Amino acid sequence: MDPNEVEFLGEKQLVTIIPSFTFNQIHLISGSIGPFRAGLPTQVPIWLAVNLKQQQKCRIVGQEWMDAKLLIDVKDEEKTSKFFTKMPSDHYMDETLMLLGVAPEDIPQAEEIRTIVKDLWDIRMSKLRTSVDAFMKSDSAFAKLDHLTPMEINCIRPSLPHALDQRDRIQTCGSRPRDSQDTQRS
Amino acid sequence: MDDSVADVSEHLDSSDNEEFTPGKVLQDIENAWLNEKFAPEILPHQSELVDCMLEQISHMEENMKKLKKGDIRLAIHKMEIDRIRFVIKSYLRTRLEKIEQYTIHILSEDDKKSPEESYLTPGERKFAKEYLANIETLFRTVALQHMPANFQAFEVDKLTVKPNLNSHVFLRVNKPVQGIIVPGTTNDEIDLTAGAQRLIQYQPIASLVKEGAVQLI
Amino acid sequence: MSLCHSYMPNYFSIDDILSSQERVSCKIEVKLPGLGYLDVSSESPDLQSGTKLDLPHWLAYPMNSRTHPFVSIEVPKIYKEAYREILTADACAVALNKWSCYFYEFGIHLAQYEHSDCNLIQDLLLQAFKSRFRLVMDWAHNTGTDPTVGLQLPILERKLFLTGRKSRCLLISWLKEGGGSIETSEMVANHKKRKRAELEDENT
Repeated sequence: MDPNEVEFLGEKQLVTIIPSFTFNQIHLISGSIGPFRAGLPTQVPIWLAVNLKQQQKCRIVGQEWMDAKLLIDVKDEEKTSKFFTKMPSDHYMDETLMLLGVAPEDIPQAEEIRTIVKDLWDIRMSKLRTSVDAFMKSDSAFAKLDHLTPMEINCIRPSLPHALDQRDRIQTCGSRPRDSQDTQRS
Repeated sequence: MDDSVADVSEHLDSSDNEEFTPGKVLQDIENAWLNEKFAPEILPHQSELVDCMLEQISHMEENMKKLKKGDIRLAIHKMEIDRIRFVIKSYLRTRLEKIEQYTIHILSEDDKKSPEESYLTPGERKFAKEYLANIETLFRTVALQHMPANFQAFEVDKLTVKPNLNSHVFLRVNKPVQGIIVPGTTNDEIDLTAGAQRLIQYQPIASLVKEGAVQLI
Repeated sequence: MSLCHSYMPNYFSIDDILSSQERVSCKIEVKLPGLGYLDVSSESPDLQSGTKLDLPHWLAYPMNSRTHPFVSIEVPKIYKEAYREILTADACAVALNKWSCYFYEFGIHLAQYEHSDCNLIQDLLLQAFKSRFRLVMDWAHNTGTDPTVGLQLPILERKLFLTGRKSRCLLISWLKEGGGSIETSEMVANHKKRKRAELEDENT
C-alpha cells in the first residue's frame, strides 16, 4: 500500500474548522456537513478542510490532542513502555503532516508539535524494528500489533509478511511429498 | 438539490431492515477494497454495493447539473465523487489483476459453485474466460505448435498458478472469535478479542474475512 | 500501486527455473545407453556406470528419485559441514551471493533428495535466513546506502531488499512532501494515448 493511500484513509477523519462564509447544510454521500456560519466552528473531513483552507475560506482548529504538553506526556509514556501505547489518533502522523502543512499559522505551537510528533514517530519506528527482528528470530506463527497505527503497519509492509512467507517456505521444504514429475513447483 | 439526496437515503432506509445509508455503503465498499487488496485469493464480489454507490454518484451528478456555476457545492461534491470513484476503481482493478494472475484456478473454483455463490460477477467471469482463451492462443501460436508432438498439449494442471493461502496478513478484529488454530511448528490455539490487531497466516482466518468478523488492514 | 505478490508456487517463476539449472555432482549408477554425449570427455555412445559428472538439478532429480536410481548425488560443498560452520559463526559476514546466487532456492531443491546430508540443509537455510534478515532490512531501510549493495545478496534476499527499499523510498518522499496526490496509473494514461493513436490512424 502506498503512504498516499494510507493518507487517503486518514483524510476521512473529522477536524474542526472556522469557516469565513455562511452556507446551509451540505448533504454529501458520506454524510451531512455544516451548516456553515462565518466565525462559528463546525466539523468537516480533513480532505475538505484542507481544500477550503487552500481557497482561504476557513481557519483550521487543531485537533484536541495537538497540544505540546499532552504530546510530550504521550512521548514519555512511549519511551518508558516496553510495548506500543495507544496513540491519540489512529492517523496521528498523517493528520499532523496534513494539517500543519496547510495551516501552520492557525495551530498554536505548530513547530513544537511537529517536532514532538516526529520524535514520537522515531521512537515507535525504532521499537518496531527491534520487535520485527525478534519476531523473525522466534518461531512464532503470529504477532500482536495492538495500538499500531495504519501508517506504521504500512512501514513493515511488504517486507515482514513476505519474509515470513519465505521463512515458511524454507520450513516446509523438507516435508513435502516427492513427485518426480514435478521440478517446477517450490 | 440536497433534498433529493436526502430522499435517496430515505428510500434506502425503508427498503431494507438494516441501517443502510449511503454512508454505510461507502464504508462497506472501503472495507471490501482493503480486504481485496490484502487477501491473497479473490473474495466474493460486492457488486450490489458497487452498483448502489454508482447509482448514488449518478444521482448526485444529475443534481449537480442543476446548480449554478459558482456554487460552492459543485467543487465539494465533485471532490467527494472523485474520492469514491478512486476506491471503486482500485477495488475493481485489484480483482482484475487477481483474475489475470490466477485465471485457471479462479475459473475452476468458480465452476464448482452455484451461480448465487459465485465469487465473480458475470462481467468478471466473461473477462476471465476471454483472457484464458487469449493466453491459450498465445502459447499455442508462439510455442506449443512448434514443439514435438508429445509436448504440444496445453497442460492445464501444470500451468495453474494458485495463490499462496498461507501468506501473512494484518488484520483487525471486528467480532470476537475463539479457538483459531494457527498452523506452524507449535499449532497454537488463539482467541481474537474485538479491536485487537494481529499478523497471521491468511488460511485460518479466510472464512472470518468473508463473513466480516475480521478486517484486513 | 498494484498488487505486490509474495511468494507462491508458480510454474512460470523465472527464479525457480534458473535455480533448478544449478548443478549437482552425480555419479552414474547404471549404464545409460545413448547418453554418452553428456560426458564430453567420453568417446562412447553410452554413458558408463561409475562416470562422475555435474548435471543440472532438473535432470539429476528425476534420475535420482526412483526406486532404483540411475544416479547418486553428492551435496555441493556450500551446504556441507565446513561452510555450515562458517554460517553458524556469523551469517551476516558471509557474502552468500558469492557462494551461490540461488543459495536458498537451490537449497530448497536439494532438501528433497533422499541423502543423509540433505536432511540438515533445511535447518541451515532457516538459521541463515533468520540471522541475516536484520541485515537485509537494515540495508533496505537505509536509503543513504548505494542501491547496488543489493547485488551482494542472493536472489531470495535481494527480492526482499528491493521491495523493502521501494516501500521505504515511497515513505521518505511522502514524509518530505507532507502528503502528495495519488496519480493516474501509467497503464491508464497510456491506454488513453493508445486509443487516441488508434482513432487517428483510422481517420488518416
